[in-house]
Formats: sequence, structure tokens, C-alpha cells
Amino acid sequence: MAEKKKLSVAEILAAARKADSGGNEGGGAPSEKAAPPAEESSPAAAPAQSASAPSEPPAPATAAKSPPPKSIEKPAAKPAAAPGDRPSVKDMLAMARAGKSAAPTVKPAAEAAAEESAAEKAKPAPKPAPKSAPGVQAAKAAKSESPAEAAAPRSTASILEAVRAGKRLGPISKSELAPAPAAVEAEVVKPAKMKPAAGPMPAKPDYAKKTSPAVKDEAIESRRTAVGFLGFAVGSFLAAGFSAMTATFGLWTLGFARFMFPNILTEPPNRFKVGFPADIPPGTVNEKFKTQSGVWLVNAEYNGKPQIIALSAICTHLGCTPNWLEAEQKFKCPCHGSGFYKEGINFEGPAPRPLERFAIRLADDGQLEVDKSRTFQEEKGEWSNPDCFVPV
Amino acid sequence: MHVDHVLFMQQVSAFLGPYYLTLALLNAIAAAVLTYQLKNARAGLISVGVSFFFVILSAFAWNGLPPGLPQSVRDMANVALTGNRGAVIYTLGTTALLIALFFTRKYWVRPAVAWGALNAALLLMGLSMISPAFFNIVSKADNVPIVSLVFLLGFFTWLATSKAVANDERAKQGLPPLEKLDDEKILVWPDLVYTELICMVVVTVVLLVWAIGLKAPLEFCAERAKTPNPSKAPWYFLGLQEMLVYYDPWMAGVVLPSLVLFGLMAIPYIDFNKKGCGYYTIAQRKFAYCMFQIGFLELWVTLIVLGTFLRGPNWNFFGPFEDWDTHKVLALNNVNLSDYFWIDVLGASVPRVTSDMTGGDAVITVLKREGLGIVLLLIYFIGLPPVLASTVFRKMFVRMGFIRYMVMCNLLLFMTALPLKMVLRWTVNLKYIIYIPEIFLNF
Repeated sequence: MAEKKKLSVAEILAAARKADSGGNEGGGAPSEKAAPPAEESSPAAAPAQSASAPSEPPAPATAAKSPPPKSIEKPAAKPAAAPGDRPSVKDMLAMARAGKSAAPTVKPAAEAAAEESAAEKAKPAPKPAPKSAPGVQAAKAAKSESPAEAAAPRSTASILEAVRAGKRLGPISKSELAPAPAAVEAEVVKPAKMKPAAGPMPAKPDYAKKTSPAVKDEAIESRRTAVGFLGFAVGSFLAAGFSAMTATFGLWTLGFARFMFPNILTEPPNRFKVGFPADIPPGTVNEKFKTQSGVWLVNAEYNGKPQIIALSAICTHLGCTPNWLEAEQKFKCPCHGSGFYKEGINFEGPAPRPLERFAIRLADDGQLEVDKSRTFQEEKGEWSNPDCFVPV
Repeated sequence: MHVDHVLFMQQVSAFLGPYYLTLALLNAIAAAVLTYQLKNARAGLISVGVSFFFVILSAFAWNGLPPGLPQSVRDMANVALTGNRGAVIYTLGTTALLIALFFTRKYWVRPAVAWGALNAALLLMGLSMISPAFFNIVSKADNVPIVSLVFLLGFFTWLATSKAVANDERAKQGLPPLEKLDDEKILVWPDLVYTELICMVVVTVVLLVWAIGLKAPLEFCAERAKTPNPSKAPWYFLGLQEMLVYYDPWMAGVVLPSLVLFGLMAIPYIDFNKKGCGYYTIAQRKFAYCMFQIGFLELWVTLIVLGTFLRGPNWNFFGPFEDWDTHKVLALNNVNLSDYFWIDVLGASVPRVTSDMTGGDAVITVLKREGLGIVLLLIYFIGLPPVLASTVFRKMFVRMGFIRYMVMCNLLLFMTALPLKMVLRWTVNLKYIIYIPEIFLNF
């Protein structure tokens, strides 16, 4: 409603005409008479209200407030609206020019408004309202309700000309138009806003002054308690929801942590026996345990001392598995070409440091035992630690 | 690896027969276009001759006698490209070639010359196929897209350059660029959508044929202790993998790629040249053009080609026609700058941090040991920009201001650091300029 839309010619015409007729009426006495009873009776009396303003745009809104009548109205409204949801420019011009011929269709409805039972009859007129601009219908209403006093119909050309010249005979945009329905509903206050060219605003009737604030306060009061209750309900639901979520996530975390301690370890143990020192002759590399455990057993000299060591089969560059090249007597990584001597010292390619050693010792039964949980790095000077080699 | 020679020749012939025939067909079409559409009878006649030449080659290939490069030429290529000193000639050679192409671009962008170069390249590829090593590389399902991408890249570089040359020529005559002449708007429907539809259909067909024709390069089950040899990265990361050979993982895997990304993002903010917007040009944006082409063609594409064609088992260098021998022995002992300085120059032993040193002593020892490298690096990254600003980049410095200039200059220096280090590694076996394994900081 509030968005500014360009008005169609039809809407401009209608609005302009409304402004015209309104100006002539000088506050539109008849419409005032027609509206108050409906408002006074009770806002909830939907049938009455929708009937009281037969060509009123907010009819659907009031109808929505009270569902029962709506269900009655609908079927009645449909066939009546069939000829055309939105009146074409031609129709509207014709109606406006004919004045009298247009009025009769609406007028009986306006009169019927007094009787609450006439809800169905009233519908034909309001139905097109929601689809076309509300203002159009409002204008029509204003006009049709007082056909006698209405100014002589103006020609399309003159209206358009006036509008284009910026005289603003009517609202230019929909947002300006928007208040129109409200104006009709509380017709006492709004019409002045709609018609800048209109005469001085009539004094506010007493009933309008007194009743509306009280009603408003009551409404606010009830809404406050309603909001309070709603807040409480939603708040507690939120609290419950978040508590549940927190609990769920907590359980998930615990369950995830449980995965860190599996019942069965399928990987080979960190500490394992690899045979007797005699199985690894001097100057050889034993690849038997590479596949399963990622360990080379090497019998080589380091700093002039022959020793058996357990070398990690993980390249210190980016973690590929190097290959032992017997012919070249070196470990060579296929990923970036790092090369290591037999004792694990890096000498070519990008590897920044030597291969790591694992702890190795002579077990009580004379076998070698490797412990992969402890590593020894040459660049930290850890290779002198007696835990990482078995002298031969 | 050692396929039976007869079997291999059958395999190659089955490929080369249709290959040469396709080339003949292409040239026949070119001849027709040249003669009837472009009314160039002489060029058409030459094209007919070329087409006939390819038909003859095709006939030889069908009969199991595909012609190829003589062994001596292949040996020479092997030595030249990967000799004892790594890929120095390859790297410097491609650089020199790109520079030469840049300066002679007016000649190379002529359609006739480009068409001739394409024919020559395709012929060379065909002649190289009779080398089992080369055939294995090119026909590997992984590498087929790389080879086709190389040709595609050549085509698009040529296309862009020819448009740029044409625009530059027009600019000299005071005419607007070609793109400005054809400024009419095109409708999304049907023009664009139909083009897209056709592209979609073509791509689908190509992918289908590809999927049916080439087997997926699946390998054996992954095993922790068994790394494929050589282990090559996906083709688009071969440049990164090559970079990892020369720099530490944190440097080549994290810092330099991030700098590439941030550098690309920074280009619009560094660039002060407002020309060349919306049309191809080289003359109006020489610096930007050259920098981009160095970064893309030299540091990305040539490294991909190097990784594909020249890297073999154990990540050793192999010539394109050399058999991949897992036991190829290369002397690749790498030496740090500090070793060179302390042992070769000073004749002393390199100071080492021992476990009984206090923190302060260790820092002093490291600084003493790596002092030269640190100073060199500081000169490179901090000393060089002002020198460049007062000489080569004087005009740019004035126009860019201090911060933009420093950002640009440092990005540039990082970019050139890679080929510098590569050539240093290959020529003098330099491993690290700064070597501080105590804190995993090597450069």
C-alpha cells in the first residue's frame, strides 16, 4: 500500500473526481451521516460496517475481523463481481458521466446499510474495491452517495490536463492514496488531508472525541497483556529449545570424545619386536616393517659408530613415504625428490631436516624392540640419546 | 615400461594415421577458405601442398612406418632441456622465447604465420610420438587435457595479442579501438541464450566422447607405505609442486600462494593506468601486460609443462624423449648459503647450536651463522625497492605514491624470487639462503 506506484489514468481520473466532488460537498455531510452510526454501533459488528460503506475499500479488512460473515459474503460476491474485477477507464468514465445511472446501483446498497440483514446485497459494490485502487472506490462512494450535489462531470481531457499541470486535483501516487480508506473509515478527520483545496475542516463531533481514545487505550491494554503472555510463552519455548539444543550438542561432544578411545585398536601397536640384531647385517636396510609400521631398520654408522636404528618412513618435507633405493644407497621421496643417506641425513631435494628416529632397545629375550611413541630428531641433537640406537 | 617395439609401433601408427589425416583435412579446409573466400590463390596453393604433405605422412603412418625425429635430435633435446644442470635452459629459454614473441608480436599475430606455427607445432608433436617416453607422457589419460590446454592457451594468447596489436595500430592512427566500433547491444533472448545452448551441447558432446574414449586414470589402492612414483599433483597444481622443491612447505605452500591471491586482489588498487578499459591493448598498458604474462605464462603455465613433461620418477628431471629410469642418478647435493660462506669462503666450520647453549647464545649463534643470508634478503626486499624507485620505476613511483609502490614492488620481488631460486638451485646447488632449522624457518 505504502509503496509509490505510478497511477493509471483511471486512478488519476477517479481521484481527481473525488477531489472535485469533495470540494463541492464541503466536508461531505451525507457521508458523515452515513458513517457514524456504523462506527458507533460497535467496531466488531462487521456486517453492519461492511454494509454501511458499501463501496468502502476496507470492507475485506473488516470482514476478516469477523470470519463468519465473510463466509456468507463470499459466494454472494463472486457472481456479482464477474463482469469485471477492475473497472476499465471507459466504464469509470461512463459511470462518472452518467452520474445517475451509476448511482442507482450503489445507492440502494448504501441505504440498505442501515439494515444489518442486507449484507449480501451490499457486497456487489465492494467486491471490485480491493483489486482496483481503494481510492477509486472511495471516490466513487463519495460521489455516488451524493449524486444530487455532485459537480457536473468534468471531461477526461480537462482532468488530465489539470493533473499534468501540477494542480493536483487528486493524489498522485498510491502512497498518497493509501490513507484514503482510513479517511473513509474515520471520515471525520481524514478528508481534510485528502483535499487540500477543500474548505475549512468541520469541528470534530463529541462522540468522535470521547469514544475513540478509550477504545484505543483498551485495545493497547489488551494488546500489552497479550504481548506479555506471548513473550512469556515464546521465551519459555525458546529457553526450552535452546536448553534442549545445548544438551544435545553436549551429548554429541561427549559421544565424539568417546570415539577417541575405541574399544579395539586395529592399528598395530606402537611397541613391537622386530627380530634379533643378527637379522640386520651391517650396512643393510631392512624394509620388512615399512608397510605395516612405517619403519626401516638400518644397520649403519653414525658419527663413526656402527649401530642399529629404527628410521621413520615419513619424509620430513611434506610427509610422503620415500623409497629405499638399494643401488644408490639412499632414501628417495617420489613427491618432491628429497634424498636421504642410509643413516637418515637429508642431502638433496627440499627436505629441511633428517628423517626421524624411533626409540629402539634390546629386549630381555634378545630381540630388538621398537617404540614408535618416542621420536628423536637429529637437528635437536637427540640422536646422541642412547634410547634411539642399539650399538653393534 | 619396456613395451615390445613392434607392438609400440602398431600403437603409435594407429594414432598417427588419423592424426595426420586430420591435419591434412584441416589444411584442405584452410586452402578452400583461402582460395574461394579470401581470394588468395597463392596461399591456397601452399595450403594444398601442406595438406598433401600430411596425406603422405598419414599414408606412411597407416602402413606402420610413421616418420619421426632422428635419435640424435631427440638426444640433443634431452640434454638441452634437462642436462646436468636441471631445467636452466628450459626456464631461461622459455623466458627468452616469450620476450622474443613479445617484441616481434606484430609479425606473429599475422594469421598466416600463426597458422604456420600451429602446423609446425602439431607436426613436431606427431614426429615426437615415435619416442616411447614422449608417447607415454602425451597419451596418458591424465595428460591429454594438459596437452590440449597448451594448444588452447596458445590460441587464446594469439587471439588476444592479435586484437591488441590491431587496436594499438588503430590508436596510432588516432582511431578508436575495434571494440568501441561494435558497441551495439545484443538481446539476451535469442542471441545470448542460443549461443549458450550451442555451447552447452558442444561441451556435452565433447565430455561424452572424452568419457567414452579415454579410460579414467585409476591407480592401485591407496596404501600408506606405497607412494606412486612419481607422485604428481593435479595438473593445475604442478606449479605449486614445483615451487615446493625450492622453498619450505610453509613458504611454498602457504605464504607464496596467499601472496598470489592477495596480489591478484590488489591489482585494481595498485593499478593507476586508466587506459585499456574494455578493449585489448598492449602498448597502452605495457607494464601491466608484461607482469601478468610473466606471472601467468612464465610462472604458472611453463611450470605445469615442466611438471608434466620433464619430471619423472623420484622427481628427477628427465628429457621429454628419455626413458623414465627409477634409478637415474643425479648429483643433487644441496648446500646452504651459510655452508658456502663459512666453509668455502672463511674456511671455518659452521657454528652450530648445541643443546647446552642458553637462549641468548643460541640466538647469537644463529644470527652469526645466517648473517649473510639475512643481510642479502633484507637488501632484496628492503634495499631494492628504493633503488628501483630511483631508477627503473621512477615515473611509476611518482604516480603511485609510497604505499602503493611498495606493495607493488614487494609483490614483484616475491614473484621474481621463485625463478631466481630455481636457477640458483640448478646452477650452484643452493638450498637455502637463510637456514634456521631450529625454528623451522628456512628461506
